[in-house]
Amino acid sequence: MSKKILAQGNEAIARGALAAGCRYYFGYPITPQNEVPEYLSKHLPEAGGVFIQAESEVASINMLLGAAATGARVMTSSSSPGISLKQEGISYLAGSEIPGVIVNMCRSGPGLGGIGPSQGDYYQATRGGGHGDYRTIVLAPHSVQENYDFTILAFDLADKYRNPVIVFGDAILGQMKEPVELKNPRPKTFKKDWALTGAKGRPQRILKSLYLADGELVDHNWNLYKKFQRMQKEVRYETLLVDDAKLVVVAFGSVARIVKTSIAMARKNGMKVGLVRPITLYPFPTAYLQELAQRIGHFMAMEMCTGQMVDDVKLAVMKTAEVGFYGRPPGSIPTPNELYEEIRKEYKRIS
Amino acid sequence: MAKVAFREERCKGCALCIDVCPKHILSITGTINRKGYRVAGCQDMDQCTGCALCAEMCPDIVIEVWK
Repeated sequence: MSKKILAQGNEAIARGALAAGCRYYFGYPITPQNEVPEYLSKHLPEAGGVFIQAESEVASINMLLGAAATGARVMTSSSSPGISLKQEGISYLAGSEIPGVIVNMCRSGPGLGGIGPSQGDYYQATRGGGHGDYRTIVLAPHSVQENYDFTILAFDLADKYRNPVIVFGDAILGQMKEPVELKNPRPKTFKKDWALTGAKGRPQRILKSLYLADGELVDHNWNLYKKFQRMQKEVRYETLLVDDAKLVVVAFGSVARIVKTSIAMARKNGMKVGLVRPITLYPFPTAYLQELAQRIGHFMAMEMCTGQMVDDVKLAVMKTAEVGFYGRPPGSIPTPNELYEEIRKEYKRIS
Repeated sequence: MAKVAFREERCKGCALCIDVCPKHILSITGTINRKGYRVAGCQDMDQCTGCALCAEMCPDIVIEVWK
């Protein structure tokens, strides 16, 4: 049964994990995502699960690997510097084809940076992040409701593709409070004929990422590649007022949320501006943007960093359309007025 | 005389209270809480009217007001 509550973004992530049937969480504290482990430390044991505050981020991602190898649904969460530390484990998960959910409530960098919101981990999230030739599905919520929904979806996609999935939020999405409808769906179950459950009465199973024999790794990498191609059909995006638009803004996460207000302001002032919000950052809605670029000549990427997603927008549409950009380095939050002003300038330039 | 108190450990320094205070007596203080946020505080309690707009606006239930 569904129930509506007022919840903080991080709490919604934790509740989503519980609703998805996650019973194992391993993490290490870092602002601005501490409410995820805080909530789970209380409620996971109550649900018969296990919560461990590990000695480090490296330990927690490897605990996730071990627990997920048994077929359980497992999550870890952190924020930018902590996610960097987890990259080795994420690469091993991808190489061993073990599903897991990793939440990154992105804060500002590089280095320790700050604890304010940022989208500066876009490259890291969408290009694999760790070593080797792999990709992870990346889900980018833009509301507390989506924090809840996408965490559940992340577990399903991870199991479906036997691959790590990243939920990519930021400090705003982690810290803000909004009404959330708790849908408490029955968790989907997947046949896990690869899981290490004790080999009594059946042949031994091995999960590994080391392939030393001649040609083995070629096959393994091509198989992974084919899987990443199959993942492309998971592309998700939201469109707003694109039908008659002369300028289409591309933005994700909390920036998309702010841009929606800016676009309403632009529309009020007679500017035909629309929005495409990638929900999956990988796979990126390349095909849809290409199609849109057949009739719309101007796009504008807006990000809370000095320009990362803009590259994907350019790769998608550069043959037929022009791509403008406004980036806001982290530290403070752009206002609807600020983004409106940038949209107005760009619109004036192209008119 | 009205009094306003901040549960600083809950504050995330969003500064919404500062925006709504009609007397402009709230500001981000120099204090950093355990989460790492610079917290909000009241600079001039004598001017507080106890209107509680700050407490109503605060998304994190940081502020308590007595009148």
